[in-house]
This record gives sequence, structure tokens and C-alpha cells, in this order.
Amino acid sequence: MMKEHERSRTIWLVVALTLSFTCFSVAAHHSGNMFDRERTVELTGTVKEFQWTNPHIWIQVLVPSAGGEVEEWSIEGGVPNRLFRAGWRPASFEPGDEVMIVANPMIDGAKGGAFVGAKLADGTTLGRFAE
Amino acid sequence: MKYVDSRSEAVWSQENIIRFLRTVQKAISGAGLIAAFLFSQAGSAQQLSSFEGVPDWTGVWQMIGPTVFDRSTLQPPEGRAGRHGVREFPPYNDVWEQKYLANIERVSADRFPDPLSFCGTFPGFPRTMNLPGALEFVVRPEQVWILTEDGPSITRIYTDGRSHPPQDEIWPTYSGESVGRWEGDTLIFETIGIKGAGETILDRTGLTLSQQARITTRLRRVDAGTMEAQMVIEDPEALTETWMVTKQYGRLPDGSRMFDVACAENNRNPVDATGRTLTLDAEGNVLDVGVNTGVQ
Repeated sequence: MMKEHERSRTIWLVVALTLSFTCFSVAAHHSGNMFDRERTVELTGTVKEFQWTNPHIWIQVLVPSAGGEVEEWSIEGGVPNRLFRAGWRPASFEPGDEVMIVANPMIDGAKGGAFVGAKLADGTTLGRFAE
Repeated sequence: MKYVDSRSEAVWSQENIIRFLRTVQKAISGAGLIAAFLFSQAGSAQQLSSFEGVPDWTGVWQMIGPTVFDRSTLQPPEGRAGRHGVREFPPYNDVWEQKYLANIERVSADRFPDPLSFCGTFPGFPRTMNLPGALEFVVRPEQVWILTEDGPSITRIYTDGRSHPPQDEIWPTYSGESVGRWEGDTLIFETIGIKGAGETILDRTGLTLSQQARITTRLRRVDAGTMEAQMVIEDPEALTETWMVTKQYGRLPDGSRMFDVACAENNRNPVDATGRTLTLDAEGNVLDVGVNTGVQ
């Protein structure tokens, strides 16, 4: 069993790596002030498109709303170079994938957000995804 | 343009000696650390004639720490460039301190777009040394190239013994005009002719320099996994004294590759006429509520 202080150190390492590879990289190219860093939303839906592109990657997700309609969300992530080094791949998300995505939503209520973490149907996670 | 083959002429021209002495004089009157740093430049300069003796700077490198240009004066210490209320303390004169304060206000109002957000230009030197993406330091006998993913950009440093060209052959460019020399495994290069405020920034807190800036960089590999750049910045228009900034770069695992960060590929965050950064959906429509026009 992992000792408490070792676990603590490990958690800090994970947090530091996650922050350096995901959080900050969203802001590498432009202001990130359109996103609410204090709030997260959890979106459960289907990947429509994964744009593995510069200056940022985008995940288009189709999310059923409470009213029964399907809403398309635009989730902005980091830069491919740094995401690749953190373990992402161009096919990390594929159209049709069932996903749960955690994001900092746009402050003005638009259907966009900054990627925080995701869990795929096979249980693998990317970024910061707490169960 | 006059090319000088003799390194003694090029490196120790009268102009350079005067500049060097002036710099040393400033250093002596300043902190002892800076004086010691500059005095160490008095060693014998070298010009490489072949790849033999070229230091091993191979590999892919990434800056250690956040994209804050001068972390030693950062307030708050854990602050991040682009966040509200974060600043550094370069030795700006009153006029440039006011310019910096105005930029800090614009950052807080989300109206300080990073020039890189326009997806058309290089980061520019010395921001080259303060980027989130990876770098390569390519050493040839007659030139050193600093290649960055962001931009992507190239900074060329001529080490073939030439001096800077005459003043009337220099105009502001993103990478600037750099000439350098070797002292052992340390490359010392001087950069002038940079773009400066209005077209380039040093980081997203709002730091800028003028076109009069002169940056002397000592670049060396301090250990197997670390490169270090010590920059001494002079700017008679913006600074009251020399500004010393040190940056370090960690070596990424063997076999790492460099990638394009080609901003124009799919930029869904254009900047409108007011300086506001917008967000587009997958079809190019503005997502932001209440914004329909003015996209540049």
C-alpha cells in the first residue's frame, strides 16, 4: 500500500503535470478569459468531430438536453505538440465515441468550454477527470 | 554589406570595446553578481572552423516553468501570464512603467490580445526564449539556429566573425539581428534590431521592450538535461538600468520530435476590432452571446 506522504507526492506530481499540459496550454495562444475557471460542467454525449489542429484542438460533442433536443458543444483543448507529449494521439477521440467531458464553460452561457478532463466508454481518462 | 573574416576585428572592434566597457562600468556600479557575470565575458573568444569542437546541444528542449519572462520579480509569485493582476518588475523608466500598467489594465479587461492570436507573425526575440512549445538549438560552425515550434520561428545567430551590419542596413524584424562568439562551450550573442512594443510582447502580462533594445545572451548547456540562457537587456528608451533575466530549458526524452504550431491552421479564436477574443463554433459562427460582427 502506498504510504500517505508518497501518495501525496504522487498526487502533486500528477496535478502539476496535468496543469502544465492541459490547463495552461489552452491559454498558450490567446486569452482564456471567456471561460469560467471557477466552474465546471459535465457533458455526457457522443463525439461528432475531433479536430486535432493548431493552435488548439477541439472536440465537438452532441449532448442530449433535458428537453430532449441534442445540443452541440465546442470544447477547446490544448495544442497538439504538448498534448501529444502528454499522451494524447490524433485518434484519442473519434466520431461516435461515447464520452463524459468535464469543461470550464463559457462565462456568457454559450455552448462552449475549455477542456478539463474526459472519460471514454472503455474507461480510459484524459486530463483531470475525477470519479 | 561588409563581411569580416578576422575574428579579432569583428569581436573587438572599437565600437564593441566601448560598448563592452560601458556595460562593465554599469555592472560595477550595480550588483556584484552582474559585475561578476559580465567580467566573465573577458575570456578568449573563439570562432569554430569545423563541426569538431561544436558543443552537443542536440535534442528537443522545453522551457522550465510558466511563460512568464522574468520569474524572479513575478508578483504574485505563483501568478501566470494572462491572469488578472499579475506583473513583473523590470527596471522601467516612468514612461514605460505607465505603458506596462496600461497593458496590465488591458489584460484585466480581456483587451490585450497576444500578437500571436492574429496567427500571422513570429513571437519575436527575446520572446523566443519564453515560449510554451519546444525548441532546438542547432549549432553549425558559422551559425547557431534557435528553432521554435511556436510561430514557428527561426533565430539565426552569425558566429563566423562578422559584426552587426551598419545602422542603415538594419530595420526592425521579429527575430532581430544577432551576432555571436564562443567562449569555450558558451555562446555569447548580441541581438539588436527587434520589433519592439506594438508588434511583439515578452509575455502576456503585458511586458514589452523598445526597438532600441540590445540583448546580450549567454547560452550554454549547464548539465546533461539543462540549457541555460542568461540575458542582459539594455534599452535606453525603456529601462533605467540593465535588466538581467535567466531562463532554463529541460531536455525532452531521446527521440522526441518537433511539431508545427501553425496558428492559422484552424484558429477558432479570432480577435475583434475592440481587441476581444471570440470563440467560433465548428462552422465558423461566433459562439459568444451578443457578438455578431467585427471579426478581423
